Amino acid sequence: MNARDDSPNAAGSIRVLSAEVVNQIAAGEVIERPFSVVKELVENSLDAGALRIVVELKDGGRELIRVIDDGGGFAPQDLELAFVSHATSKLSVLADLDHIASLGFRGEALASIGSVSRARIRSRRPLDPSGHEIGCDGGAIDELRPSGVAPGTVVEVRDLFFNTPARRRFLRGPEPERARIEELLARLSIPRLDVDFTLIADGKERLRLPAHETLVERAARAFGPRLADHATAVEVRWDEYRVHGLVGSPDLARRDASLSLLWINGRLTKDRGAVHAIKAAYKPFTMHGAQPVHLLLLAMPPSSVDVNVHPSKAEVRFLEPRRACGILHEAATQGLRGHGATAVAGGAVGVAEDKPRAVTGFPDLPRDLFGRTASPSPPAFARSVSEARVVPAAAPNPFARLTERPRFLVVDDLYLVLEIEGGLCVVDQHALHERVLYERLLRQHDARDEVLVQRLLLPEIVEVTPTDKAWLLEHQDELAAEGFLVDDFGGRAVAVHGIPAVLRKASPKRLVESLLAGDSEGSARPRAREAVVERFHSMACRAAVMAGDRLGEDEITALLAAAATLDHPHNCPHGRPTVLRFSAVELERFFKRRTGSCGVG
Amino acid sequence: MKTLCDRQELQDAFAVVSGIPPLKSTKPILQNVLMRAADDGVTFFATDNEMSARSALSSVKVSEPGVILLPAKEAAALLRELGDKTVAIQAKDGRCRIECGGGAFDLLSPDASEFPTEPSFTPEVEVEVAAKVFQAMQRMTSFAVAREETRYAINGLLLDFVDGCLRMVGTDGRRLALAYANLPSNAQRARAVVPLRALQTLAKAVPGDNDETLRIGFGKNQMRFTVGSIQLISQLLENRFPEYEQVIPKAAESTIEIDRVELERNLRRVAILASDDVRMVRFKFSGNELEMTAESSNVGKARQTMTVDMKGKGGSIAFNPDFLIDALKVCELDVVRMDMTDGSIPAKFTLGESYCYVLMPISGT
Ligand SMILES: Nc1ncnc2c1ncn2[C@@H]1O[C@H](COP(=O)(O)OP(=O)(O)O)[C@@H](O)[C@H]1O
Ligand SMILES: [Mg+2]
Ligand SMILES: [Zn+2]
Repeated sequence: MNARDDSPNAAGSIRVLSAEVVNQIAAGEVIERPFSVVKELVENSLDAGALRIVVELKDGGRELIRVIDDGGGFAPQDLELAFVSHATSKLSVLADLDHIASLGFRGEALASIGSVSRARIRSRRPLDPSGHEIGCDGGAIDELRPSGVAPGTVVEVRDLFFNTPARRRFLRGPEPERARIEELLARLSIPRLDVDFTLIADGKERLRLPAHETLVERAARAFGPRLADHATAVEVRWDEYRVHGLVGSPDLARRDASLSLLWINGRLTKDRGAVHAIKAAYKPFTMHGAQPVHLLLLAMPPSSVDVNVHPSKAEVRFLEPRRACGILHEAATQGLRGHGATAVAGGAVGVAEDKPRAVTGFPDLPRDLFGRTASPSPPAFARSVSEARVVPAAAPNPFARLTERPRFLVVDDLYLVLEIEGGLCVVDQHALHERVLYERLLRQHDARDEVLVQRLLLPEIVEVTPTDKAWLLEHQDELAAEGFLVDDFGGRAVAVHGIPAVLRKASPKRLVESLLAGDSEGSARPRAREAVVERFHSMACRAAVMAGDRLGEDEITALLAAAATLDHPHNCPHGRPTVLRFSAVELERFFKRRTGSCGVG
Repeated sequence: MKTLCDRQELQDAFAVVSGIPPLKSTKPILQNVLMRAADDGVTFFATDNEMSARSALSSVKVSEPGVILLPAKEAAALLRELGDKTVAIQAKDGRCRIECGGGAFDLLSPDASEFPTEPSFTPEVEVEVAAKVFQAMQRMTSFAVAREETRYAINGLLLDFVDGCLRMVGTDGRRLALAYANLPSNAQRARAVVPLRALQTLAKAVPGDNDETLRIGFGKNQMRFTVGSIQLISQLLENRFPEYEQVIPKAAESTIEIDRVELERNLRRVAILASDDVRMVRFKFSGNELEMTAESSNVGKARQTMTVDMKGKGGSIAFNPDFLIDALKVCELDVVRMDMTDGSIPAKFTLGESYCYVLMPISGT
């Protein structure tokens, strides 16, 4: 167990942060609505090791927000300090900033909440015979009093913004607020399969996420069954880095990024570099601008990631962006291939490195709240991957089970209509052929054991901005590994000495520009690969049969046979669909054959 | 204006300039060719602001001197279709009338006074070379010129006149072709990067069996080429051409002599199985044998050996076969000489008495 003297049950574990630390930490965003209150409180409960958390709302949180947990509770002297600004038990020296693995670390949430509401905390540590409570009314802190309370903590926040009427007026209605809070709990719950979450609004249970379900089950409850049904479970490990989660099929992609979710060490992040790495894997399968659906969790050594870059904690800085983004890209790619499920089922799945935790009831001993272990909930995860076998790989290949000489109908020298197992489908011949050619190129490329470089006789000198130059030089090795040989050329210029041999026709300057097209954070490898993949797109598009090209029967049969071996038969490389399926069920439903009233049986 | 022209000569002279007008332009008047009839003959002039060309015809009867504009595209097409021996061209009420045989064609003709005038040009250095030689040099080098637009400095051919030697260099950064000719001239050094389009226009205008002399005038920002009655003036590209001399390997560890016909034939064969994404053929030299291999995981493998004459330790080097075939097509020698050191630095091919070609290999990282 953790022997540090600031462990929660040691006396006086909450300290007032030194001014230096306060200044180091970016100013936190303010409490602006019930949603933000719930977020802070639930994160505190999770930090306190709770395994059961109940959130209650009245009037969308305007009248009351109550969060009940069964966590480690407050020591009485800590409770006294709870509403004091920058009181936190979570770090006390600057160096601690390097080791942040807990969700909250600013020590100002409770103080801010207390200053804009009538708040009350009742808390009892599991081993204490009784508890205490303290109130804070618009910033005026009460005296500490004994209180009869179950082990754990209850925080109540009433009349939010009663003393700042302007803000109160700006609050949205209860329904949208409740919906956002529900989404919040769903997101917080994904890395914590060991925790039971409940949301009750105006006396009705709105969300219940029992502990110890699999990731798929939790995802189904939290985000709806469609996501869970069309996702592939993945797990990838690279040394101390591990990614696991669900990779949604490209068909799930949406306009907004609300289900493009990534957690790093249990914390949700929108880090652009990391998100880009995942998106790059989806790019060949989704329409431009579509946002992929995925729930991915990256666990890595806390010392290799700086989470304190952005006040809302939405961005992070990696020590080794290449590895972090690389493994994310890999995980997404595996998931998309649909290989994820088998790879996971066949791989080493055991509970592995993390120590087991108490599963029910209260822990007998103080637990490590400081998150020195990076991955939150191994036992539940282990189960979720072993059951991942049953997750359908992102929709099966409809051509896989065609007969040797399938029957088909050609429409307009463009569409093929054919019977498939369990229904019929319409195929766009150009799009499908394009996909076939594209995957052939990609496989050929990936099968090579070395990256081939077309060296340049004369290095191409490219002027770039200082930020871009720094990025290029920082990622020199990574770029070289994909065939881009880039070097410093003094001033604002870089010299390109070689380009991937597959891109032999491209202008080195354009290639560098395309590498720089993302933002300056993040990994280079996916971007370098994107440039290569882009070329395969256009090669495939040019070589594919066109709409209106009349194909012979043999050609169509050959095309369908080739399609049977595709990894991703559903979209052309540009993301347009290749095939429209009608299942027997859909047909039955349409023809109302299910009612049985026509005697069709 | 009123003229009577020899049809063949008219067609030829018009064709020299008719390719110059831009197909699309915000200044539509540029899409015309200016015809000027004077007592001593007829000239045609066209320009696209980057280059201009003038041609002349002498077998012509000018009964009324004058100036007129002909729409380049339509007039060229029309002249090509004419069959009689003579063609009459005259200005008539804002139109240009072309008469031939029993046909009469009236083309709308905008006001010629709006048309750009011929640029004035004074060469700083002028050298002379047989038109045939110049064209051969151009064939040997122009295929290597970069076609993409971004590499501005090398989108043209370098003409470098130094120490009585005219060098022509084309490169796209992956390969470099250099041809040269010694000229009896004691002119100063001169250097210019000429857009490929200007040289292509020139090549089209001068028939291959031409025995005439080409005069090359180097100006500050322009260049003038004169052959017989044809004159072409082109703007130059920015003179940022790379230091090509540094790129040409001076020494090599192995020197190999290879039969050109056999090499080209074998290479073409092997190249069929080079993959379509990475075009690559590997050359392996050992003893007096060259082994060429290619592999495409989607199609198959090729291996071809042939006998060569080698001095040195040999080794392995890989190229884009298309790059080498391009050069072998214009090679003048029966035996090609290749100088190489290893698979990561450029190889040099000697493909003519005064023609060499440098090729950058493909290799691992
Ligand atoms: N539900 C809880 N159970 C136990 N301790 C808590 C709970 N909520 C807050 N605390 C304690 O109060 C401190 C202050 O909380 P807060 O103001 O949210 O700051 P921070 O979470 O950034 O430390 C925390 O560091 C923690 O020690
Ligand atoms: Mg907190
Ligand atoms: Zn497409």
